[in-house]
Amino acid sequence: MRANFIFSEVWIGLRRNLTMTIAVIVTVAVGMALLGVGLMINSQVSRLTSYWTDKVELSVYLCTDKSPFPACKNRGAVTEAEKTSLKQTIQAMPDVERVEFEDQAQAYKNFQESDSNKLLLSVTRVEDMPESFRVKLKDPDKAAAVADSLSGQPAVSRIINQRVLLDSVFGFMGKLRNMALGVAILMVFAATLLIGNTVRLSAYNRRRETGIMRLVGASNIYIQLPFVMEGLIAGLIGGVFAGVLLIITKILVFEGIQMYMQNPIGWDTVAGVITLTMVIGVLICVLASFITLRRYLRV
Amino acid sequence: MIHFDNVTKVYANQNRPALDHVSVDVDKGEFVFLVGPSGSGKSTFLRLVLKEERPNSGSIHVAGKDLARLSNFKVPHLRRRIGCVFQDFRLLPNKNVYENVAFALEVIGKPRRFIRKVVPEVIELVGLEGKAHRMPEELSGGEQQRVAMARAFVNRPMILLADEPTGNIDPATSIGIMKVLDRINRTGTTVLMATHDAAIVDSMRKRVVELEDGKIVRDQSRGVYGQAY
Ligand SMILES: Nc1ncnc2c1ncn2[C@@H]1O[C@H](COP(=O)(O)OP(=O)(O)OP(=O)(O)O)[C@@H](O)[C@H]1O
Ligand SMILES: [Mg+2]
Repeated sequence: MRANFIFSEVWIGLRRNLTMTIAVIVTVAVGMALLGVGLMINSQVSRLTSYWTDKVELSVYLCTDKSPFPACKNRGAVTEAEKTSLKQTIQAMPDVERVEFEDQAQAYKNFQESDSNKLLLSVTRVEDMPESFRVKLKDPDKAAAVADSLSGQPAVSRIINQRVLLDSVFGFMGKLRNMALGVAILMVFAATLLIGNTVRLSAYNRRRETGIMRLVGASNIYIQLPFVMEGLIAGLIGGVFAGVLLIITKILVFEGIQMYMQNPIGWDTVAGVITLTMVIGVLICVLASFITLRRYLRV
Repeated sequence: MIHFDNVTKVYANQNRPALDHVSVDVDKGEFVFLVGPSGSGKSTFLRLVLKEERPNSGSIHVAGKDLARLSNFKVPHLRRRIGCVFQDFRLLPNKNVYENVAFALEVIGKPRRFIRKVVPEVIELVGLEGKAHRMPEELSGGEQQRVAMARAFVNRPMILLADEPTGNIDPATSIGIMKVLDRINRTGTTVLMATHDAAIVDSMRKRVVELEDGKIVRDQSRGVYGQAY
């Protein structure tokens, strides 16, 4: 096999169909970048899920003096007796692993740490903070059922199920991922058609050469390789662009929202995603070239 | 070398066979003219030898190989042992004489050193010495056909198929072409040439196989073009 012969043929082919080649590269780059973004979101979601699953709790807030919640209307702050009985009730539930009481001082401290709104901080006093029970469940999936049965209890102002919050975040990310993957599939489809067209043009342009090659007994591989290599190189270049786009995405998007996510995906994940999208991109290009070849190049 | 046994070829969408129960034997080193009116099946015969087409019935052996048993994978190897020349030359317009001939060796993966050695030899054999760097458009029809013959012969095939090689060339130049074919034949290469050119057939006095409507109507050693009564 004469490598330089093949490469010069490939180079001529790529240059002769320059506009088509660029279209293929762009489509492959965008399609593979979207596929990669989908995969990155996916791995972010699964990291977050495993991070949060054992931390999810129910917050059972108790009535304060001036609680605006309907459950606290016509009554004052929670009494010590109510707290004791509520704690016993919660502890008695089979799905509950442990219960912790958060008093006003602790709540105020947490609030100070988590909220950066200076104005809100300055007008909020320790007495305004609600007391709460932090309920850790044996099985996070039971959160909704436990919350339901606790919401009717006396002196409970409201119950926050962290699980529901997380689910909405995960749900949103899941939708983003599906969109990215959906568009990626469309792009892959477009890339396949484009490659098919490029190969068809190439085969037409080179019909004299391939005719003579067949006649003098060049092996099929030798005849087809330049076409497949054209697809391969276009796929590789597109893959490199996709990799650059993914690195930019990681820096701008995933690093940017890092402060909200305790467990952002690392560069090892990005490297894995880039490798995978490259391989898929190149495989698609090579397969598409090969399949169209069978149709347009009689061997 | 070439052995047709009761070969019938009917093209798709045609009811009349292009070749009709043809049996013929060509020995190693022979020079055979294939003559007959247009549409009598001469080109079809040559395409069958190359396994570009498959017969509907009958068997074909080329160089001892049964073509029906030859896998598609091995067809290129068969074609490496058969050279081909056509009426329309089929040169690559963007390559010069040397490159056109070398192309046939490059694409079957021959080493460059070998190519550099044999290509000039063959260019000389067909009488184009000094013209290796001309482009095809700078050559006459006869010279272009010599390039095509050099390309067909450069890999030293056992068989050379020529489909009306003088069809586009004036009679005077054709004599030169025939001399080259004769020279190639003398190296031991079997030559099979389809032609309409009566003068050439008559002057060469080689074996003549005449086809008509796909049937062999004459097979004569040292024959002439027209029916010898
Ligand atoms: N690819 C094809 N498909 C269908 N029919 C074909 C094909 N090639 C040839 N034929 C038919 O087969 C018959 C024999 O054709 P062939 O080309 O072998 O004749 P030929 O003797 O070479 O003629 P010519 O002297 O004009 O070149 C003709 O009737 C032709 O129409
Ligand atoms: Mg013909």
